[in-house]
Amino acid sequence: MITSLGPAQFHLLLVGTLWTLALSTVGFLFGGLGGLAVALCRTCGLMALERFAAAFIEIFRGTPLLLQLFIVYYGIGLLNISMSPWIAVSIAFTFHASAVLGEIWRGSIESIPRGQTEAAKALGIHYCFRMRYIILPQALKISLPPTIGFLVQLIKGTSLAAIIGFTELSRTGTLLSNITYRPLLIYAIVGLIYFIICWPLSRLGRAMERRLSPVISQ
Amino acid sequence: MPATVDSQTAILMNGVNKYFGGFHALKNINFTVGNGERIVLCGPSGSGKSTLVRCINQLESVQSGTIVVDGIDLTAGGKNIDAVRMEIGMVFQQFNLFPHMTVLENCMLAPLRVRGVSRDEARATARRVLGRVKIGDHAEKYPAQLSGGQQQRVAIARALCMNPKIMLFDEPTSALDPEMVKEVLDTMISLAAGGMTMVCVTHEMGFARAVADRVVFMADGEIVEEASPEQFFFAPTHKRTQAFLGQLLVN
Repeated sequence: MITSLGPAQFHLLLVGTLWTLALSTVGFLFGGLGGLAVALCRTCGLMALERFAAAFIEIFRGTPLLLQLFIVYYGIGLLNISMSPWIAVSIAFTFHASAVLGEIWRGSIESIPRGQTEAAKALGIHYCFRMRYIILPQALKISLPPTIGFLVQLIKGTSLAAIIGFTELSRTGTLLSNITYRPLLIYAIVGLIYFIICWPLSRLGRAMERRLSPVISQ
Repeated sequence: MPATVDSQTAILMNGVNKYFGGFHALKNINFTVGNGERIVLCGPSGSGKSTLVRCINQLESVQSGTIVVDGIDLTAGGKNIDAVRMEIGMVFQQFNLFPHMTVLENCMLAPLRVRGVSRDEARATARRVLGRVKIGDHAEKYPAQLSGGQQQRVAIARALCMNPKIMLFDEPTSALDPEMVKEVLDTMISLAAGGMTMVCVTHEMGFARAVADRVVFMADGEIVEEASPEQFFFAPTHKRTQAFLGQLLVN
């Protein structure tokens, strides 16, 4: 049976879009928290923690996201824990984003001149306050453009979650093209939706880069 | 002869050795600074003078020897280091101001977060001290909006806001344009006149003559000569010192 493209189908696309946004948000928020922890471990000066964080980053940046999705999904299945695809993909994206954001933020933390850390130490300012008031405000500002760049990657990357049966925007598109037999039209619409979400973010990232460059060069 | 600590001793270093990898940066340093004393440390580059002052507030750790500051043994580490850092102000060659904070915020941060004073008190102290280094009009500006000399005076003010007992200066005028050196030296001279205990790494010999109680000359990680400014400049005993002073005169 061939279904035409009507309001019901657009409603399905909207639901798919919302799942894509939900997964992106969860991945970015939890990945942001994890990434901050990874970046702080990576720069803390304690050898064991730094190595652990480095290994975490290398493993998740050195393997395909698709593979990470498979391993989390089937790996947890092996533990006899029943888990919805939603939880599995959320976990996988959180780990992935933690590693990438951790590496981006490590770079920005290390780009703050050492003299500022020394000045803070000389004033008796402890590690937590040093990070909270001196290093992180500057580092996070520097890292905004690449962070937004990664967010765009992450949103597009959520389409991989379709493979393990998570019905986000791409998978909704596939399902619709199967019942309407109009794959080109459907995928064009799906592509347009991704573009509408990602393009403003890309623009924002580039605008920030321009605005921040004089600050960094001073 | 190992020196002992009494209530008149601000800083005591006894048999201190410091290595950077295989490089022996400080060799068996014995060095004492009394309360209210002003010391000028000089010597050729690489002689260990910066390393020595950085050991006093433990920005550098040492491999052996004892360092006692304000009666607190630093070699015991941990909490003692934090306690001592609160009492020692430090001024760096590169100013090291926090660029994302205004001048006033730079001066308020440590009193707020380390001493735990109220915001009003921190602000009042900062304004008073900024006035004292004659930079009160610039309190709301960011460091990048100030000249090098102004930035260094802010850095001095930032350290003073913690009400330290000792001030360390690590080549505070070396990164400045010549016309700005005087304003920073004048600030340091007025600080000395107020009775502050000071250890200054500097090659400003005019400053050394004006305020130093003692000039300490270092070479190759050792203290080669310690003398009053008159004796140091006009009757140096050691060959290395004579050669160094000869170089200064040529320049």
